[in-house]
Amino acid sequence: MSAPDYRAPELLANALGIKREFGADARVVAGGTDLILRMRDKVLSPKVLIDLRRISLASISRHAGEMHLGAYVTLSQMLASAEVRVAFPALVEACRSFAGPPIRNRATLGGNIVNASPAADLVPPLIAYDASVVLASLSASRVLPLMDFFTGPGKTVMEPHEVLTEVRLPLPPPRTAASFTKLGQRRSMAIAIVNLSARLTLDRAGQMSEARIVLGSVAPTAMRARAAEAILTGNEPSDEQFEQAANMAVAEISPISDVRSGKDYRKRVTGVLVRRALMAARHKLAEVGRND
Amino acid sequence: MTDMDIRLTVNGRLQHAKAGVMRTLLTVLREDFGLTGTKDGCSSGDCGACVVVMNGQVVNSCMVLAAQADGSQVTTVEGLASNGELHPLQRAFGGTWAFQCGFCTPGMLVSCHALLSSNDNPSREEVLTAIAGNFCRCTGYQGVVNAVQQAAAELRSANAEAVLQHD
Amino acid sequence: MIDSGAVGRWVSAPGAYDIVTGKARYCPDLDFPGMLIGKLLYSPHARACIRRLDVTAARMIPGVIAVLTHADIPGENSYLYAEPDQPLLVVDEVRFQGDAVAAVAAIDEQTADAALRAIDVEYQALDGIFDPLAAMQAGAGQVVAGKDNIMMHKTYRTGDVAAALASAHVIVENTYRTQWAEHAFLETEGGVGLVDADGGVTVYSSCQAPHRDRMQIARALGLPESRVRVITPYIGGAFGGKDEAHVQIHAALLAHAARRPVRLIRGRRESILTHVKRHPFIVHCITAATRDGRLLAVKARAIVDAGPYSNATHEVLNKFGEFIGGPYTVKNLEIEKIAVRTNNPITGAFRGFGAPQAAFVYESQMDDLARKLGMDPLEIRLLNGVDTGTRMYTGVVVREGKAMKASLRRAAEMMGWQQRGELGRQPATHLRRGWGMATILKGSGMGRGLPDHAAVLLEMHRDGSVVLQSGAADMGQGIVTVLAQLAAESLGVEMSSVHVVRADTAQAPDAGASCASRQVMVSGNAVLRAAVPIRDSLLQVAAEKTGVARDRLVLHGGRLHVDGQAHDLTVAELARRALFRGYPLQSEGRYELEYPADAPEVTYRYSQEVFQFCTQIAQVLVDCETGQVAVERLVAVHDAGKMINPGGVYGQIEGGVAQGIGYALTEELRVTEGHTLNASLENYVIPMALDIPELEMDVLEMPEPLGAPLGAKGIAESPIIPTAPAIRNAILDAIGRPLYQLPMTAERVLSALDAAPCADPA
Ligand SMILES: Cc1cc2nc3c(=O)[nH]c(=O)nc-3n(C[C@H](O)[C@H](O)[C@H](O)COP(=O)(O)OP(=O)(O)OC[C@H]3O[C@@H](n4cnc5c(N)ncnc54)[C@H](O)[C@@H]3O)c2cc1C
Ligand code: FES
Ligand code: FES
Repeated sequence: MSAPDYRAPELLANALGIKREFGADARVVAGGTDLILRMRDKVLSPKVLIDLRRISLASISRHAGEMHLGAYVTLSQMLASAEVRVAFPALVEACRSFAGPPIRNRATLGGNIVNASPAADLVPPLIAYDASVVLASLSASRVLPLMDFFTGPGKTVMEPHEVLTEVRLPLPPPRTAASFTKLGQRRSMAIAIVNLSARLTLDRAGQMSEARIVLGSVAPTAMRARAAEAILTGNEPSDEQFEQAANMAVAEISPISDVRSGKDYRKRVTGVLVRRALMAARHKLAEVGRND
Repeated sequence: MTDMDIRLTVNGRLQHAKAGVMRTLLTVLREDFGLTGTKDGCSSGDCGACVVVMNGQVVNSCMVLAAQADGSQVTTVEGLASNGELHPLQRAFGGTWAFQCGFCTPGMLVSCHALLSSNDNPSREEVLTAIAGNFCRCTGYQGVVNAVQQAAAELRSANAEAVLQHD
Repeated sequence: MIDSGAVGRWVSAPGAYDIVTGKARYCPDLDFPGMLIGKLLYSPHARACIRRLDVTAARMIPGVIAVLTHADIPGENSYLYAEPDQPLLVVDEVRFQGDAVAAVAAIDEQTADAALRAIDVEYQALDGIFDPLAAMQAGAGQVVAGKDNIMMHKTYRTGDVAAALASAHVIVENTYRTQWAEHAFLETEGGVGLVDADGGVTVYSSCQAPHRDRMQIARALGLPESRVRVITPYIGGAFGGKDEAHVQIHAALLAHAARRPVRLIRGRRESILTHVKRHPFIVHCITAATRDGRLLAVKARAIVDAGPYSNATHEVLNKFGEFIGGPYTVKNLEIEKIAVRTNNPITGAFRGFGAPQAAFVYESQMDDLARKLGMDPLEIRLLNGVDTGTRMYTGVVVREGKAMKASLRRAAEMMGWQQRGELGRQPATHLRRGWGMATILKGSGMGRGLPDHAAVLLEMHRDGSVVLQSGAADMGQGIVTVLAQLAAESLGVEMSSVHVVRADTAQAPDAGASCASRQVMVSGNAVLRAAVPIRDSLLQVAAEKTGVARDRLVLHGGRLHVDGQAHDLTVAELARRALFRGYPLQSEGRYELEYPADAPEVTYRYSQEVFQFCTQIAQVLVDCETGQVAVERLVAVHDAGKMINPGGVYGQIEGGVAQGIGYALTEELRVTEGHTLNASLENYVIPMALDIPELEMDVLEMPEPLGAPLGAKGIAESPIIPTAPAIRNAILDAIGRPLYQLPMTAERVLSALDAAPCADPA
C-alpha cells in the first residue's frame, strides 16, 4: 500500500473537485482521531487525504432561529462557546464526557458524525436537538436531518463525492430542556457502554407536547425510542411516566455484547439512564421555569 | 508518494522536515528534530505521553499528521525551560515526586503548563481534569496535583512582586 | 548540632533534571550511526504447527539487513532465567499468541514491516487448550509435547486441618476467581543491540535485572558472559513485567547478525499480547473459626492458568501459598497449589507475586467470617493478628510485627471507622455507601535458601565527589535515589556530590533483580558497607591533621565536624590528603540478606522473613441501579521499617493503590481462545486521574532488627495488595452482597445485586 496524497485546498470548490475526481478514494481528514487509527490498522487506505482546515469550516454562528456549526468545529470550541452552552446544554455535556483535553482539541463535530460509530457521543444530543447536516458536492448541496443520515456502523447516506460542511441546529422552542447521560468504564477516556439524550417540551398546560429519547451504543446506529416517546407525549411529566418510558425503551432495543459490556447489562442500564435523563430534563425545565 | 516539505516553529525555532503523509508530528519531532523528550506510549491517542502544544492547544502528537501540523507553532517539553532556567512547574515536579519512571512526565508537564497559562490558581479537580488524558502507571497523580498547585502559587507571588515593582 | 543528612529527608531524584527537561533517554530515544529497526513476526493463531517458513523473499528486499529464524540463533534457542523453556523463535509449533516466529532488522520501520509481510509462513492451525480445568483432565492432550499439562502441583500442610475443621463453630467456604492483569508500564519493552569492535555485544535494555539479562543474551549468542555488556538507560516502569528478559535478546541477536546497531521496541498492542500477565487464579478456600472469632484453620486449593511456559509461575504460587493465611495466627493450614499449562497468554511476575490474589481471598474470607459471627471487621482482625514473636504457619517467627495491629488501628482512626455510619449509608435512593478494610503482610527479599545478595563499587575522587556503581536497575521505583542518599549520608557529603551510574554490567557488580522489594535492603546495605573503608581513610587523615581523637570526628554535609561543631576542613580536602597518603578511597561493599542461621522450624520453602505490613480502608459509593462503584476515600497505612526517601515511599504507596483500584474494579484482559480482545490502552481500562480519590496515607516506622540498613524494609509491593479486598469488603458493607470475582465491574456488581436487591441499610 502506498501512502496517500495530502491536499489542503483553500477553496471548498477545489476540495469538492477532488472528491468528484476520486470519490471514495479521497477522504476528508479533520481531527484525524478516527481516521489515522483506521489507516494505521489498514481498515481504510484512501488515495487522497483532503484537509479542509484552510477553508473556514470552524465557525459557530447564528442565523434566524438556527445555530450553524462548521464541520471542523472541535469539541473544545463547543465547550468554550457560551452560545452553545446556553442553547444546547446537552451537547456540551456530551463534549465534557468525551475523551480528554488533547483529543477534544482535535476531534471535530463533523468527524464524530461522519465516522458513524454507534457510540459517538455527540450524535444522541444532536438528534435530540433536531440537527440537520449540510452535504456539499460540486453539483449541489443538500440539507438532511441527522436522523436520516446513518445507515449502519460506519455507514451513512453520504455520497462518495460529498463532504459534510455544516451542522444546523434549530433553537429549541420555549419550555424545552434536554440532557445527556453516558455510562463508561471511567470518568475520562471512555467510549460509552450506553450514551443517550432526552429532550422534553412542555405546553403551556405543563404537559409534554413533545418528547425525544435518543439512544446511542445499543443499536447499529443511534436510534429514537419512539414507543417510549409516545408514552410520554401528551402527558404530564411524572416519575411513573418516566419509569414506563424507560421500560419501553428497554423493550425497543436489542444491543450486542462487546469488550465493553454484555448485552443484558447494556439493556438494563439503558432503562436506568433513560429514566435519569428524563428526570434531569425535567429538573432543568423546573429551573428554567423558576428563572422565567 | 512524494514527501512533503513541512515547516514548523518548534520551541521558537523554525524547522523543516520532509515527510510522507502517514508520518505523525510525533515521529517528526523525535526522529527529524531529535526532540526525544516527547514520548510514544501507545500511538493511539490513549495515553498522553506524546502531548505537545500546537498553536496554543494541547494535542496528542501521535494523532496529528505532520502534514496537518505544517505551518504551526509547537511547544514540547524541551521548550518549557527558558535560557537554561527551569520553569517553576518543572522544579515543582522534581520536588513533589510527581513522577517515578518519568515516561509520562513530558506529556504531563505540557498539559499542566497549558493549564497554568489559563488558570493561575487551579483546584485539585481542575488539575485532574486537565490531565484526564495523561496516563501515569507509576503514581496516583497526587504529586502532579501538588506540583501544579505549588508552581501556581510561586507564579502568583512572582507576578504580584512584578506588579509591585511596576507601581 | 548537626541536622540530619540526606536519609529520611524529602529529596528529589538524582534524575529529576533530566526527566523534567526531556533529556532523560529511554531505549526508544537511543540512536546510533547506522542503527537499524528490529521487528518480530507473530503467528495469527494461538496454536499452530509451522509447515513452512521461508524468509528468502524478505531477505531480498533492499534495506532489509537481517532476517532470523530459529535456525539462525548461534546459541541456545530458549530463554527465561529459572527454567528456560520458552523459545526465542519458534521451531515448529506456536503455543501462544506471543510466540515470535521470525525477527527482522531493516533500515527503517516501513522496510522492516515490508520484510515481515514478505516472510512466507504456512501455519496449520491446531486446536488449542484454553481451559485450565479441562487441561488437567486425563486425555486432554498436551500443550507442550512430552510435558505434563500440570506444570506444578504442591501441597503444604501444617497442623491438623481435618481436626480443626471438625471442631470449628463457623466455617466460610467460597470459590474466588481473579483475572489476567496487564502491567501497562508506559514505556513498552525495548532493547538496543550494538556489536563491539571485538565481536562482543553491548545491549541497552529496559529491564529489571541487567546481570541476568547478560546471562540470557550470552546464552542465546553462544558468547561468554564476559563479552556481553548490558546497560540500563532510563526505564519507563516495569512492575515485574520486565523481570524476565524479552526483546533485548532479539535485539542482540539481530545486531550480531547484521553487524550494525539494532533498536527493537515493542508497540503497545504487541506488548500486551506478548509479555507475561498476572496469573488468573481459581481458589477454593475454607476458613474455620471458633465462636468468638479465633481462626482455627485455613484450607485452600489454587489452580492457576500458567500459559505454555514456566516464567515465574513457581515463584508466584510459592508466594501465594506463603501468604494465603494472611497476617494472622493460623495453626492449621493446608494449601494445594496447581499450575496448569494452556495455550493462553503467558503469566509471570507482577508486583506482589501472587500475594494480591491471596489477599483477595483471605481478606474476603475474614469479612465473610466477621459477618457470620456478627463481629466488627476491625475486631476480628485485631483478635487474630500476628505480632512480634508470633510463629507463623510457615514456621517463620515474626521478628518485627507490631505494625500489623498498629497499622489497623491507625487506619481505623484516620478513616473514622467507629463513626463511619454517620456520613449516611444511603445518600440517595439508588446509592449505598460502605466501608471495608484489608490488612496484609508481604515479605521482602528472594526467600530463605535463594541467592539474595548485591555488591556495589564506591569511589571518592580528590574533589570529594563520589561515584557509585550499582547493578540495581531503577525502573522508576527509585533505588538510585536511595543509594545516593545512603552514600551521601555515610560519607558525610551532600547528595548532589554523589553520582550513581545507571546499572552497567561492564562496570558494576551484580545486584540481582530489582524485584521482591529487595534492593533497598541488599544494595542499600552494600553501600553502607562500601562506605566504611572510605570513611575510615577520611577520618584517619582528619585525625592526623587535627590531632583530635577519631571518635570525636564526624563527616557531615561535605565538612568535618569536631564534637558536633563544623570545622574548616572539607571532605574534599580530606579526600585530597587521603589520596596523597595512599589511603584507599575506593571500595566494594557486598551484602547478603541474612536469615537466622539455625531455623529447623521454618518448614515453608523459600520463606521470606522481613515483612511489610499494611492496612487500607476504602469508603465506596455503589450505584445500585448501574452497579458502578466510586471509591470516595482510601486510607493507606504502611510500615516501611524506616523511610530513607519519603517522596519515594509515598509515591510507591499512591502508585500501588492506583494500580490496586484498577485491579479491583476495571482491569481485565479479555481472552478468548488464546486471543486477547482488548490489547489497547483504550479497552484495557485503567483508572485515570479523575477516577482516583485523594489518598490519605501514613507511614509507620517499625525498624527491621536484622540487617536492613537503618531498619528499612522495602515498600514496592505491599501497596497494591490490600486495595482490591478493601474495596470488595466496602462493597459488601454497602450492598450486603459479597463478590468473589475480580475485577468487580459494574456489570458484576449488578449481578451480585440481582441475587438480592439493595436492602435498605440497617
Ligand atoms: C483516545 C480517543 C478517545 C476518543 N474518545 C471518544 C469519546 O469519548 N466519544 C466519542 O464519541 N468518540 C471518541 N473518539 C473517537 C473520535 O475522536 C471522534 O469520533 C471524533 O469526533 C472524530 O473527529 P475527527 O475530526 O478526529 O475525525 P477524523 O478522524 O478526521 O474523521 C473521521 C471520519 O470522518 C470523515 N470526515 C471527517 N470530517 C468530514 C467532513 N467534513 N466531511 C466528510 N467526511 C468527513 C473522515 O474521512 C473519516 O472517515 C475517541 C478517539 C480517540 C483516539
Ligand atoms: S502516544 Fe500519543 S497518546 Fe499515547
Ligand atoms: S511516572 Fe511512570 S508513567 Fe508516570
